[in-house]
Amino acid sequence: MKKYSILILIPFFTIAVQAQDFSKDIAEAKASYSSGKLADAHFSLEQAIQEIDMIVGKEVLKLLPEKMNDMTATTNDDQVSANVGFVGATVHRSYGTTGSQVEIISNSPLITSLNAFLNMPFVGGMMRNSTTKVVKIQGYKSRLEKQGDNENGKPNYQLQIPFKSALITITANGMDENSVISFANSIPLDKIAALIQ
Amino acid sequence: MKRIVFLLCSSFLFSIPQFTNAQFLKKLKEKANSAVNKVVDSKTGNTSENSTATESQNQSSESSGKPVNKGGAGLKNTAPPDVNAAMDDATKAFSGNNYSDARYSVQQALMGIEIQLGRQLLTSLPDNVDGLQKDTTQDKVVSTQWGWNNMTIQRVYSDKKDKQCTITVGNNMLYSGLVNAYFGNAYAAESNGKDQNVKQVKVQGNKAIISYDESKGYTLIVPIGQSSMVVWECINFANEDEVMNTANAFNIDNIKKSLGEK
Repeated sequence: MKKYSILILIPFFTIAVQAQDFSKDIAEAKASYSSGKLADAHFSLEQAIQEIDMIVGKEVLKLLPEKMNDMTATTNDDQVSANVGFVGATVHRSYGTTGSQVEIISNSPLITSLNAFLNMPFVGGMMRNSTTKVVKIQGYKSRLEKQGDNENGKPNYQLQIPFKSALITITANGMDENSVISFANSIPLDKIAALIQ
Repeated sequence: MKRIVFLLCSSFLFSIPQFTNAQFLKKLKEKANSAVNKVVDSKTGNTSENSTATESQNQSSESSGKPVNKGGAGLKNTAPPDVNAAMDDATKAFSGNNYSDARYSVQQALMGIEIQLGRQLLTSLPDNVDGLQKDTTQDKVVSTQWGWNNMTIQRVYSDKKDKQCTITVGNNMLYSGLVNAYFGNAYAAESNGKDQNVKQVKVQGNKAIISYDESKGYTLIVPIGQSSMVVWECINFANEDEVMNTANAFNIDNIKKSLGEK
């Protein structure tokens, strides 16, 4: 019982620590700003923004489904990264052992041009051919691409859902098309959008 | 993950030629139009005055009937975000678990600091260099919402004729990285023995690159700290010594200090 209580308390403790970090960063930023140290204030605010991105990433992970088809989430491989550079914040979750995964990238200045790129049929974006088709996931136009078969002869798919300033990429190996779309529809996109926009 | 990073980089690179192509196509279209007009004028006997009159008519109202904008007051300058208020907003939003708003407020605070920092830096720059006076109407401080990247501070010095020096202090990891990569490549520092248009120099003890282009004039780039750089673009300067003297009129250590760079 004690063990379970500790396990339950760990996530709360983690968020509490990050909340403290955020408050500390803001306090440092205020102190530096009031004493005219603008570059130091800037650095502290950058740290604060990264704290927010880390917390948001962890909240997004909570919203991701526990299972992809019959594959269970490998929560030990869950990853959240945050930076203020060009890559932005990323959230990663793996399912099963076949390389299936969900990756969300957000708050990157390049996402807009990447999303525009995905919407251009002539460069292989939203188009239909023998391996690629456009599908709608919860109202968002998305690109579904078949990426060959796995060793058991079952198809591998990649589904890219560009929305707002984020991109969700689902890699589903050894699953049929309907299962991939059904899994994508089980992700609460609007809730995720509300968190990361 | 690697694939996403690759896609991000390729889309970024893709956007650059797209922009350049658009400009190029626009110029090409203008040239083609003017050439066609000349041929038509010569065949119909229209004088250049007539065609100019027709052009001005076309400019005020296009053939589609859509009016062309001829002027306006533009946009008013707004005050930079209030940093303290933005930080307070961020704290409130964060404590209410409203992370999206908290992030926005921190970004506003960052923007406010960058603009203040840029203005301070502009004030610290000299009023005149090499006989060129500062032109404060062209002062620019640009801050983006993407943190420290792409913050740009610009000042123009001019003799009001054809000699001009533009100094740009920017913070951009991507470009700065490319410039630093240049210093790591020994072959790039070698001259071809004849027309050396790029070479390494030192400005106040900082490694720098100076280049010359017939159409652009001299460009001097000094990377400072981890991700910043100072760029001088000198038009109609007599020689590189003049460029170096101009650069030495600026206190690079002070610029470094302002940006928090080592």
